[in-house]
Amino acid sequence: MRIVLVRRKKPLKYGGLVVALLSLLSGIFVFTIFAWLIGVNPYPVVETIVTTFIFPGVVKDFIILTLLGYALLIAFKGALWNIGAEGQMHMAFLVSIYITLIVFFTTEKSLPLYISIGVILLSIVAAVAAGALWGGLAGVIKAYAGVDEVPVTLILNYIAYFIGDILVYGPFRGKYVYGYARTDLIPDPYKLSIPVQRQLSGNALIDTVTGYMAEFATYAVWLVALILVLIFTYWLLNKSNIGLRIKILGSNPDYLVSLGYDVRKTMVLTFMLSGAIAGLTAALYYHGSLYRIEYPLEYNTASYGYLAILVAWLSMLDVYLVPLSAYIVSAVILGSQRVSSLPSVREAFTRLQLGGAEMAFKLLMFGSILLAYSILRFIQDYELKVVS
Amino acid sequence: MIPQLDYIIDKILPAFVTFYLVSLGHSIFEKSGILNLAIDGVFFTGTGAALLGAILPIIYNIPISPPVMGVLVATLIAAILGLFMSSVLTFLPISHGAVGLSLQFFSYGVGIMLGYYVRLAYGTIYGVSFAREDVLYLSIISLVIGVVLHLFIERTKIGAAIRAVGENPHSAAALGVRVMAIRIVAGMLGFALIGFGGALFILSWQRSWDVKLFTLGYGWLAFATALAAGRHPIVLIPVSLLFGGLVNSQTDLQSRLGIPADVAKLIPFLAALALMLIYSTTRLRRIFASPSSLGKPYYKEEKSI
Amino acid sequence: MSSPLLSVANITKTFPGGVVALDEVSMDFHPGEFTVILGENGAGKSTLVKIMYGIYTPDKGSIILKGREVEIKSSLDAIKKGIVMVSQIPQLVDRLTVVENISLSLTRIGMFETMTRVRRFFKEVSEKIGIKVNPDAKVWSLTYTQKQLIEITRAILLDAMVLILDEALTYLPMEERRKFYVYLNEFKEKGRSVILITHKIPEALEIADKIYVLRRGKLVGALDKASANIDKIRDLMFGEAAKTITYERFTKPYETPIGDIVLNIRNLVVEGDYGEIAVNNVSLSVRAGEIIGIAGVVGNGQRELLEAIVGLRRVREGRVIIDNHDVTNKGVKLTRESGVGFIPDQPLRYAVSADNNIVENVAALFSRKNFVVNWKSMRELSEKLINEYGIYPPRPEMHVKLLSGGNIMKTVVSRELEYASKALVAYNPTRGLDEATSTFVRRKMKEKAVNSKLAVLFASEDLDEVLQLSDSLYVMNRGVLYGPFDPVSTPRSKIEELMVV
Repeated sequence: MRIVLVRRKKPLKYGGLVVALLSLLSGIFVFTIFAWLIGVNPYPVVETIVTTFIFPGVVKDFIILTLLGYALLIAFKGALWNIGAEGQMHMAFLVSIYITLIVFFTTEKSLPLYISIGVILLSIVAAVAAGALWGGLAGVIKAYAGVDEVPVTLILNYIAYFIGDILVYGPFRGKYVYGYARTDLIPDPYKLSIPVQRQLSGNALIDTVTGYMAEFATYAVWLVALILVLIFTYWLLNKSNIGLRIKILGSNPDYLVSLGYDVRKTMVLTFMLSGAIAGLTAALYYHGSLYRIEYPLEYNTASYGYLAILVAWLSMLDVYLVPLSAYIVSAVILGSQRVSSLPSVREAFTRLQLGGAEMAFKLLMFGSILLAYSILRFIQDYELKVVS
Repeated sequence: MIPQLDYIIDKILPAFVTFYLVSLGHSIFEKSGILNLAIDGVFFTGTGAALLGAILPIIYNIPISPPVMGVLVATLIAAILGLFMSSVLTFLPISHGAVGLSLQFFSYGVGIMLGYYVRLAYGTIYGVSFAREDVLYLSIISLVIGVVLHLFIERTKIGAAIRAVGENPHSAAALGVRVMAIRIVAGMLGFALIGFGGALFILSWQRSWDVKLFTLGYGWLAFATALAAGRHPIVLIPVSLLFGGLVNSQTDLQSRLGIPADVAKLIPFLAALALMLIYSTTRLRRIFASPSSLGKPYYKEEKSI
Repeated sequence: MSSPLLSVANITKTFPGGVVALDEVSMDFHPGEFTVILGENGAGKSTLVKIMYGIYTPDKGSIILKGREVEIKSSLDAIKKGIVMVSQIPQLVDRLTVVENISLSLTRIGMFETMTRVRRFFKEVSEKIGIKVNPDAKVWSLTYTQKQLIEITRAILLDAMVLILDEALTYLPMEERRKFYVYLNEFKEKGRSVILITHKIPEALEIADKIYVLRRGKLVGALDKASANIDKIRDLMFGEAAKTITYERFTKPYETPIGDIVLNIRNLVVEGDYGEIAVNNVSLSVRAGEIIGIAGVVGNGQRELLEAIVGLRRVREGRVIIDNHDVTNKGVKLTRESGVGFIPDQPLRYAVSADNNIVENVAALFSRKNFVVNWKSMRELSEKLINEYGIYPPRPEMHVKLLSGGNIMKTVVSRELEYASKALVAYNPTRGLDEATSTFVRRKMKEKAVNSKLAVLFASEDLDEVLQLSDSLYVMNRGVLYGPFDPVSTPRSKIEELMVV
């Protein structure tokens, strides 16, 4: 008797969904196990993560991760592993900062609307271009030199961080930063978020609902961008010739060659589109929430660029499932952060002198969700059979 | 003593040994046809494991030199990761890239778990590190390992088997090679060497450890080194030396030329990119061709026309 | 009668797409006997021997070796039990040397041993059977025939009890096959068993002591030497379809005046995958409405030649002129846009996108100029092709990876024939198709060539196919093109001789 792996006669129905759920569970499981190992009661841990699924604070991460999810979705459809969303975002930050804090810097509290909109649009366009170029650079190296895109995009992330560090430490350092190595705050007229006041009613349900409404109102511009990006991505992948090329690139580049398409240009274009959306996201994030960047640069994005890999994978590369996947990832990540601030967990951390090790927990959870997903994916097309 | 010699012993050699071992391990691993995108994570796990290993003899009074124990624990834990990655990717037809990348993040977490407690409890690790002169022996050991591995790969049957599973696992299996066994051997050996390099990184070069080391990206520099040297154990020697020197020149460049620290940090990464480009766009690519099946999922019951 | 050396009993194996490759198949293989398993493409013969050699796992059934039921877990396991297989495509690792390849099979060579002893073993055997191959040559530098000889040497070195030849001799010319028969007879004399897989009836009749016939995964007949004849086997192999299958030349009804030169190849020199000269100073021309066939043993530069013509491979010297335009090294895009259809060597690898559906595969070729794809017309076109060629299941939105090999091939052939407006370049256009469908495809090619004034250039390892379809044929051997020859008046033996000399 032995176990053999055979291809399914038909792909497993809802296989993708099963894989995504199992991966998530395995991540939460690993997280809980480690918490339990250091003496934390697992019940509040799980409870906190689960309740974060209805928690207004998720909205911000949800929108950003959905946008980045689409950025990566396009690249992943072409089987191009763009791990460089971080770098693409940072290059975009830098041009947005140059435009808003150097060229059009102002200390005014308000400016005529057309100027505000003009500067913001210019900043967004420049950020999109910067993201596209930095993505395109990875594409050029992959396509024309044939170097695997994963190390290339990762190394480009480091390069973007260091370039940013140099700039923020030097020419971009703000005038009103009390010696900190960081830029000034974005001038008020260039802020994209809409300040919303709300009063707590004391009723948990009502407060949650109003909380969500307030969050969505605050980030209304982001939401509009999200819808536009969704429509664009759908159109690109399902209607256009470029999208068809990207999909074939992902499935069989040799076929693309024999059809007479320029595979290299397709690769570069795919990377540029992916980078462009990452750049757009960066501009929106900077104008709507981040407001300044600080030295060292890698801590500005809350690892969104890497978390987006999770979003794109768990969506099973389905345009419609990206928002759902982004929501789940946001909730789980935020949930894990909230766990670290639970009194019982903090107490355990201090007792064990593990104060800074939440980082390890988060990485382990993130890693095990990714790992479970990339391994379990085989059950969609294959099954294990016992043969006697 | 001559100042240049001091510089070599204190700066160049520790960096060289680290880069050499990591890129050597990576090369052996990839020769068996499995794409290794977990390199940076395994390297970092090696550093954490080495730290933990180095204090074990002190806590439990084991009569082993602490740094040696550090190396043993690091290679062991890295080898376990290698066993996992090789076997899962040989048994299941899944993406090498996805598994490698995921394992990288996971092993960042493992590395922190292993090293963090020791770091807090013991602070400085000078006492459990290798002595200054030990780096000479370590260099010699590493070079011997490299040369021996090279001879094994090029001359012996097991070397032919490793190359065969990297080139074409289907043909290799039909010839009678146990693909799984060979890939596990190469995988464990390769990762063990990466772990060894990670151990020397903190026990002989840095002599300190910090959680944030995982954002350093030196594993990726070794990835570039291995690629540019065509995964050839002998060619790797000068290229690793170059990188060792380059990374070390950071502090010197800073002080001598008065350039910001971040510019100096940037240089090795630019060099890595440049090296990969040189390799890929010149004849080197053909001379030191990558294994034909590198990164290709392996599934044997495939019906093909 | 002696008891069988090896038997298979009630073997069943199913593949995705619901294809039953083998259905309760039982066979006996006796010592000192030469058994042939006959069947057309897709009949399940390769699947059966791959099970016997430990590559596939059967869903059901047992293997009995010398009276004992055994389990064959891997090829290594099979080798240890004395079963050795030689495939149609040599299972050697190209970048390893000859002796390194051999060493991997020899269990008596230790894992940490160098090649010294293997080299000696190899020399002893190769001298005995008269092969001249440098044991330290890399396998990629050898010809197809040399590689097959090495595989035979390996089988001898392994002291095999059962030797399986999976179409290993089928595409070799008669002369070469005879050389192999000498060793095989010697082998048989020693009380061992040879199993030959083929779909060519004459080849089976040449040497078989016993013939098993498979059709669509079922054992439909077992004949011994005395009772076997072509007609009987044909009926068993093809059943009802036998009537539609023909090897007659497509001539009379289609005879038309031939037009201007469309494909003009001048003094072409092309490098192979390892930088060697694969195509050596080849010139030929194909006129509108004409079909030119290139015969040759696999790996003699046909693939490289065709790839260079369509622009997939760099031309080192010489010119490719299509429809009076010089397209040398100008890329596939230009050749495609000049109306050239292309069926490459391994269609599954080069001619379809398996994760996409039929419509998308079709649109990628036909909607190349549109920024937004006209999905409606692409769907209609796909439906037309599906109906015309009987692609099953007839669903345009079916993912290509879920189709069977034959249906994938039909998708490719139909698409490329539909697209071709000036010329069609094809390699093994009927590979993997059953005989009835092959005949159908060849007929389509002929019709299209004549009716649409298409210039057709194809290469095939199957000499029968070349003889059936070509208006004029060439032979390619070690990168050199010989010809043209008239397929009717040139003796077959002359062509076969050119294929290997």
